[in-house]
Amino acid sequence: MASCKATDAVFHVDPPPAGKKLREAFYCAHYIHSHIAHFYALAAPDFVMGPTSDPAQRNILGVISKVGLQIGGEVIKHRAYAQNIQAAIAGKATHPVGGIPGGMSKPITEEQRKDFEEKAKSCVEFSKFSLKLFGDVVLANKDYLNLITGNIYTMKSYYMGMVDSNNKVNFYDGTVRVVDPEGKEVVKFKPSEYLDYVAEHTEPWSYLKFPFLKKVGWKGFTEGKDSGIYRVSPLARLNVADGMATPLAQAEYEKLFKTLGGKPVHATLAFHWARLVELMYASERLLELCQDKEITDPKVRTIPTATPDEGVGIVEAPRGTLIHHYQTDKNGMVIKVNLIVATAHNYPAMHMSIKKAAQGLIKKGTAVSEGLLNMVEMAFRAYDPCMACATHTLPGQMPLEIVIYDSNKEELRRISQNLTEGD
Amino acid sequence: MKTLILGLGNPILSDDGVGNRIAQELEGKLSQRQGVTVQETSMSGLSLIDLLAGYDKAIIVDAIQTAEGKPGEIYRLSPDAFNNTRHASSPHDVNFATALELGNRLGMALPKQIVVYAIEAADTSTFSEKCTPEVAKAIPICVKMIIKELNGNHLTKVADGSKRLSDS
Repeated sequence: MASCKATDAVFHVDPPPAGKKLREAFYCAHYIHSHIAHFYALAAPDFVMGPTSDPAQRNILGVISKVGLQIGGEVIKHRAYAQNIQAAIAGKATHPVGGIPGGMSKPITEEQRKDFEEKAKSCVEFSKFSLKLFGDVVLANKDYLNLITGNIYTMKSYYMGMVDSNNKVNFYDGTVRVVDPEGKEVVKFKPSEYLDYVAEHTEPWSYLKFPFLKKVGWKGFTEGKDSGIYRVSPLARLNVADGMATPLAQAEYEKLFKTLGGKPVHATLAFHWARLVELMYASERLLELCQDKEITDPKVRTIPTATPDEGVGIVEAPRGTLIHHYQTDKNGMVIKVNLIVATAHNYPAMHMSIKKAAQGLIKKGTAVSEGLLNMVEMAFRAYDPCMACATHTLPGQMPLEIVIYDSNKEELRRISQNLTEGD
Repeated sequence: MKTLILGLGNPILSDDGVGNRIAQELEGKLSQRQGVTVQETSMSGLSLIDLLAGYDKAIIVDAIQTAEGKPGEIYRLSPDAFNNTRHASSPHDVNFATALELGNRLGMALPKQIVVYAIEAADTSTFSEKCTPEVAKAIPICVKMIIKELNGNHLTKVADGSKRLSDS
């Protein structure tokens, strides 16, 4: 979606209302699919089964066994609804082809609109269920609530996210707002201005760059107001916004901040809760868009007439702010591209979150177990990172190693999983 | 009997698209064949079970990278071969074995028989709509193997997932 908006900017063209609404409906469906998958398949096992439970059970199969097969069916059904809507609007759910400079390649029919509307209604109900499940399993458990709000999973940083003209969360369009660790707005910028506010630090030991807020500066891997490290994510979006633009999501937004002690919330594990608040918003917003008759207007594209040159497109991807910046020649052939994806924005913070969790969990006299490894991994998993998913590699498991030293830096113990030669 | 041939991959990432290429070849050859559907997809994890539902048999074609594999080698695997990736493998989605087991536990109408043809890839990170030479050579061989499979005449048992295969 960021590339659609970047190419609009490159060709100096503004899509007609139906084109924008179709894109936003597609994107809400994308959020529904992505947030359901992350919560049920990746986050819920840690909470429903327990962070130190048997890893053989700590997966979606264990979750379904515990909460019931019927719930599993609902998970699959609503993910499939979201995928179907994406494919119907844009040709394919993954690698969609419907977005083109100036709008969309085809309109939808009234029959499709009605179908999407019914699916969106069902997604709203499923979002209510998912939030209730989170309340029953996680919030009602004092230990889990303490885990979420505890120091080892807390990091005080700046936050970045897109808001609409009323400062409400918006996934598709608006301005990018940044708040400081106290929740105070420090800047709002348009997509085309991003290079004035974001810079990238490099380290010799990583080929991924470390973005930071240019005006605060890179001060190393440190927390707080003096450090330019910021985070993007579902929680970041809630932290930067003044609220949600739909009623049920707004009520959940208020509950989250009331429970966790007001804005901003710095608890990394609360990303999961924020993800469910956004699942509700995406479902409600999808329903709104599908009840808007203009969405079936056949005029879904403005034909570009200007000479293409350069443009920036920013959207909120499920994992956070996504920036696409293209330069082309006069024939529209790309000559330069810069992308800053959510995982890159969060990369400095991920290192710090993992380190803090490890330091907080590994104490003198504490047995270091697989459960501990998982609890360190939870600090990383909350970001839902898009590091290379090794889909064609056997075994496709996450390599992880923890080395424990004593106070003289003598290695005491090394615990690893799934390392291959060269790791 | 309804059979799905599903080519997996990203068609613009060199050898990652070998499953797509094979599906494209097969679509041309099998367009008149009753009961056989050929499809390409870039989806993975939970999305795959949506695609598989409703078929009696599925033949999945994808690129693979193994520790000592030689580019262009073709493996005929059963889903059991992926069991060791079942637990917490990807930070981003569930893996194939988990998705299949989930679908089965939920009572979805998944194929009774699933066969995976995996082609050892050399390059899955360079933007290209063509496979590397060794992998490209494997495409017609794999197409022949799958047609034999459809005719009930495959080369080894499904369970023999670890054995490397080459067509003579």
